Amino acid sequence: MIPLLRGHPRLLVGAGISLLLALAGLVSLVWTPYPIEQVVVAERFLGSGPQHWLGTDHLGRDMLSLIMSGTLTSFLVAGLAAGIGIGIGVPMGLAAALWGGWVEWLVLRVSDLTFAFPAVIVAILIATLVGPGESNAIFAIGIFNIPVFARVARGGALTLVGQDYVAAARLAGRNRIAIAWLHLLPNIGSLIIVQGTIQLSLGILAEAGLSYIGLGTQPPATSLGLMLRDAQSLFLIHPWLSIVPGLAIVVIVIALNMAGDGLRDALDPRLRRQELGHVAG
Amino acid sequence: MSLVDIKDLRISFGQVPAVDGVSLAIDHGDRFGLIGESGSGKSLTALALAGLLPEGARVDGQILFDGQPLPANEAALARLRGRRIGMVFQEPMTALNPLMRVGDQIEESVALTRGDASAGAIVQLLQEVGLDPSHGRRYPHQLSGGQRQRVMIAIALAGEPDLMIADEPTSALDVITQRTVIDLIDTVCARRGMTLLFISHDIKVVAALCDHIAVMQQGTIVEKGTTEAVLNSPRDGYTRALLAASKIPRRRAAVITAGASVLDVENLSRVYRHGMWGRSVKLRAVDDVSFSLSKGECVALVGPSGCGKTTLARMLVGLDAPSSGTVTLDGEPVSPAKMRPITRAKMSLVFQDPFSSFDPRMTVERSVAEPLHLLRALSATEKAARVREAVEAVGLDVAVLERYPHEFSGGQRQRLAIARALVTRPSLVVLDEPVSALDVSIRGEVLALLAGLQEEYHLTYLLISHDLDLVAAVADRAMVMEAGRIVESGRPDDLFARPRHPMTRALADARLPNPA
Repeated sequence: MIPLLRGHPRLLVGAGISLLLALAGLVSLVWTPYPIEQVVVAERFLGSGPQHWLGTDHLGRDMLSLIMSGTLTSFLVAGLAAGIGIGIGVPMGLAAALWGGWVEWLVLRVSDLTFAFPAVIVAILIATLVGPGESNAIFAIGIFNIPVFARVARGGALTLVGQDYVAAARLAGRNRIAIAWLHLLPNIGSLIIVQGTIQLSLGILAEAGLSYIGLGTQPPATSLGLMLRDAQSLFLIHPWLSIVPGLAIVVIVIALNMAGDGLRDALDPRLRRQELGHVAG
Repeated sequence: MSLVDIKDLRISFGQVPAVDGVSLAIDHGDRFGLIGESGSGKSLTALALAGLLPEGARVDGQILFDGQPLPANEAALARLRGRRIGMVFQEPMTALNPLMRVGDQIEESVALTRGDASAGAIVQLLQEVGLDPSHGRRYPHQLSGGQRQRVMIAIALAGEPDLMIADEPTSALDVITQRTVIDLIDTVCARRGMTLLFISHDIKVVAALCDHIAVMQQGTIVEKGTTEAVLNSPRDGYTRALLAASKIPRRRAAVITAGASVLDVENLSRVYRHGMWGRSVKLRAVDDVSFSLSKGECVALVGPSGCGKTTLARMLVGLDAPSSGTVTLDGEPVSPAKMRPITRAKMSLVFQDPFSSFDPRMTVERSVAEPLHLLRALSATEKAARVREAVEAVGLDVAVLERYPHEFSGGQRQRLAIARALVTRPSLVVLDEPVSALDVSIRGEVLALLAGLQEEYHLTYLLISHDLDLVAAVADRAMVMEAGRIVESGRPDDLFARPRHPMTRALADARLPNPA
């Protein structure tokens, strides 16, 4: 891991900032400077100071505590959504590549169909059926992630199924599931990790969007999008309240994108093989 | 004055020298052959001459082309490449633009180098390389490998260059096509009085085409001189070793138990359908093939590329299902769908490319042990013992088992592939071009190993190859395949000395004379 980071400064910076923010989010589980539910109307709209580093909001809640907790929500929602995408999408993609025929047709058409519905539409659908909430955001974004991972997994696996070692595994009597598990999955792992990082950043944006329009996280819990929603009517008088969560979202997304790009450069087997190809002969 | 004069050329990547002090001179009208194994620096030397080295390469030394150093300016260098140096590469499919008709690609290079691209000039070029003018309207994928290589040669000739650099131009082609492309390069060079720099690992090809030879090893030239001198009285030890390795020692004829057939193939066919619904076209990749293999025999299957050899092999080992016909191994039916693990364990396949036949993320121990999955009766300790035995049988140390495939050379990987093929103690081993991806010097070792293992374990080999010298040296019987059918079979010596079928004759005629 250490030699991987060396020579890839973007990966180092991106992954460093992402991990730091995720850690801040995790800390909020056990400790925040102030409890996030604590409403002290007398101390509302405070600027940043020694008591409240990032000031307080319209209900006198500590902004730093809210940001910490909101970051956790963002990572949790986006992470679980990426988990749903990987858990369902990757097996779908591998099945498409290994079985081909009607299985592949079905996977591709289901992907097309899911791609046609953005996360917002799915979220609205779920919200109308069972009401808004955090878990609905997770499902909506997760469903949106499935075809993304299915396509990445299928694309990666298609280049591998023609390799002789897959034929060797079939000769050794391995069935398709064993081949997928033993040979394909480890070899497309890096592709999935890179895509996972990118989907994580997209998921955080989507969660912020869903919470902003009221379909995601509900108070008293908080998320970065919800903070933006609370602050929007006060933007002209107290712009600080919008700038802080907005900047937090921007920093997380940029950091994750940098980490994803850096990981791709560091892990992508195709790029690595090209480098070797130049030297050969 | 020489056309090409390279003095003390050094190319390195980081700390690793790839070319280490190469000096050579090529006179006008010379045909210069550069021989070397993979990694010897022969291609890099040629790329340096054309100013096409990959980024990150450090170059020292002097390269004079027609008395002038190579221009530092990229535009001037590109002009020099187009007008005075033509290049032909190994893989024409990747060197041609797949979305452009080949005629347009030839026209493009004519326009770039001569300024005027008349239709007549393109037709003339196509005819010069032995193509029909109608071929110009096709896309690269609509041409065969040999035809694509002819297009590449036409593009290289467009600027009427003084020097043609051909880097392994025939290595990706089958024997018959290889011979026609070599003959084409020969006639074109003679007609135009063009200088040729021909790079190859194959001494026979170079000997047939070139009048001067340089042998490269690990970045240096170990010997150079006229073809005759180098081949007939080699001074350097490495040259002698290469020459010796290119001659394949003959194997003793197998002791064949009459009547004990291991594999029986009856009326085997494989039909692919192209197109849709009513307009489907049937392609008979394998067409009504029947034969049987006796225990201990080594039978070769030869034929041009696309004749159905590989499809046949895949059906024999149960990777593909036949459209009709049967395969029986020791009396048990072979088919991918319903085949008992114990039957599967009785046969194995050694792949052509040792680089793609191992999972890069698995230790070689797990890869070699994978077929033991078929023998469920074995305990874990018995399995470990089998793996050790197989690895020792191919002459490797058991300590290598913990390593990953990228840590091995091509020859070692092929040994490991053989170990994997033997681990279940099969009776039939199908060898799909087992040495064609290996350097000549390793080829001999791997063949000797295969011969030794055959004797020790009473194996039956089905050898798929297009190398008639190899087939003549090791096979007891050869079967010639054309368009999915076996057209002739017999003892290789008789078969190639007195061919009866046109395909056998074409294969025998394409054989290059053995040097020295």
